[in-house]
Amino acid sequence: MFRVSVSVVNRSVTKRLVSSFSGDVTLPPNLLLPSNLVDPARLKRPPPPADCPLPLLRKCNSVVPAHLSPLQTWVETLDRLDAEPLGLTELHPDVFAVHPRLDILHSVEKWQRNYKRISHANTKVRSEVRGGGRKPWKQKGSGRARHGSIRSPIWRGGGVSHGPRGPTSYYYMLPMRVRVQGLTVALSSKMAQECLHVVDSLNVPTPDPQHLLELIRHRHWGQSVLIVDVGEEFPENLLQATAALKTVNVIPAIGLNVHSMLKHEALVLTLDTLTFLEDKLLWHNQRYSPLYPYKLPYSDLLQKS
Amino acid sequence: MSPCFGVRAAVLRGALRGPVVLHSRTQSGHAAAAGPGLASHPAVVESTEEYAFVERLIPPSRVPAPPKHAGAAPSGWIPPAESPPDLPYMIRRSRMHNIPVYTDLTHGNRKMTLVRKVEGDIWALEKHVKEYLKEVTGKELPTQVNEVTMTLKVKGHYDLELKEWLASRGF
Repeated sequence: MFRVSVSVVNRSVTKRLVSSFSGDVTLPPNLLLPSNLVDPARLKRPPPPADCPLPLLRKCNSVVPAHLSPLQTWVETLDRLDAEPLGLTELHPDVFAVHPRLDILHSVEKWQRNYKRISHANTKVRSEVRGGGRKPWKQKGSGRARHGSIRSPIWRGGGVSHGPRGPTSYYYMLPMRVRVQGLTVALSSKMAQECLHVVDSLNVPTPDPQHLLELIRHRHWGQSVLIVDVGEEFPENLLQATAALKTVNVIPAIGLNVHSMLKHEALVLTLDTLTFLEDKLLWHNQRYSPLYPYKLPYSDLLQKS
Repeated sequence: MSPCFGVRAAVLRGALRGPVVLHSRTQSGHAAAAGPGLASHPAVVESTEEYAFVERLIPPSRVPAPPKHAGAAPSGWIPPAESPPDLPYMIRRSRMHNIPVYTDLTHGNRKMTLVRKVEGDIWALEKHVKEYLKEVTGKELPTQVNEVTMTLKVKGHYDLELKEWLASRGF
C-alpha cells in the first residue's frame, strides 16, 4: 500500500468514501448517496495561492534548509464573524512539514497517558489476610483434603496468589528528542489536514461565548478548538468566553502537548506563538547532548532567573 | 567546670584583644600614612570585571557551523555542496555535519549498513544505491526500505563506499 505514492486528495464527496488502501477509485454500482451530504473540503478555505496579493506579515526567523521552502498560511482575525484574512505568514518546514510519523505520535500519546499513572490496586497475599495461622484439621485421618491454612489461595476468602501488589508506578520517560518530534509531527499533521489556523491576536470583541461558537461554525473550524498564545496573560474577554465553553480551550505555548492537539479538532496559534514554537523546537535539531542540565546556564541560552 | 570556663574565657579575651590591638595599630598606621583627608576605613569594592574569565568557560549549547573549506578538510571531512543536488531524494547531514551512514552488527554476525535522514523518493535512492554497489562489489545486495522512518538498510558493511559516493553526489 505504501508503494503507490498517490495522495488521495479529498476534493469530492465520492472520493472521500473510498478506502485509503486502494489507489484506484472504484465505486460500487449500487451506491446511493443522500442529497444533503456535505463535503467538508468545499467549506474550508483552500491554502493561499502562490500569487496572493495579501502582505506577508511574518517571515521565518530561523534558517530554512536549502532544499526546502517555507509554507504559507492565512493570518485571520477573531474580531468579526465574516472577516477576510489579514495577510499571510511563513511557517518553517522542519516544524510544520515534517514526515508524518504516526508511530511517534502513538508513543508520545501513550507516554503522556501513562507516565503519570499510579495504580493503587492492591490485594492481600495469603500471609496478609487476617487469620490462617493454624492448620485447620490434622493431616491424616479426618477424611478431608489436607490443608495448612484457611487463607491459602484455593480457599474461599483466602489470599490472592498473583494479584496486583500495592501502588505500582508506570513512570517512564521517552527521550527528549522523541517528545519534541512528537510535537512537530502533531503540528505538521494539523497543518496538512487544514486544521491549523493562525490569528494575529486573541482580542475578542465580547465576552459572550456565543460569538466564539458562531465564528467557529461560520468558518467551519470543527467541533473543538485549542487556542494557544505565548505568555501567561490572556485578554479578559477570551478567558470569560472560553470558561463557559467545554470544547474551546486556551493554553499557554509552554503547555502545548500532543494529547491536547489530538483531542481538539482545530488549533489556533498567534504569530508570537509561531516564533516561540519554531525557536524552541528547532533548537533541538542542532543542540549538543547536555553536559549538565539545561536549567543551568549555557553561553547561548538566556536564563530568565 | 567553672575554673576551665574561666580559663577558656580568659583565653578568648586574650585572643580577642590581640587582633583588636593590631587593628588599632594598623588603623592608626593607615591614618598616619593617608594623611588628614581619609578619616574612615575604605569600603569593600565589588568588582564584576573578573567574571569574564568564568563566562568564557561556559560552553555553548548549539553545534557551531563548520569553517569554510575549499574541497576536503585535512581530516578528510567533505563539506556538503552549496546548493542541494538535483535528485528526487535528499539526504541531510547529521547535527555534527557528517553523512548519516552507519554500520550495524546484530547476532554477532549480521552486518548491515544503515542510511538515515532520507527525504523525498526513497525508492529512487534504493535503485541508485543498488546500481552503485553492483558496480563496486559485483553483487546484488539485498536492501530494505522503511518508508515510515525513511531509512535504507543494505546487507553488509559498505559505509565507506556509500559515504564517498554520497559526498561525491553533493549531499
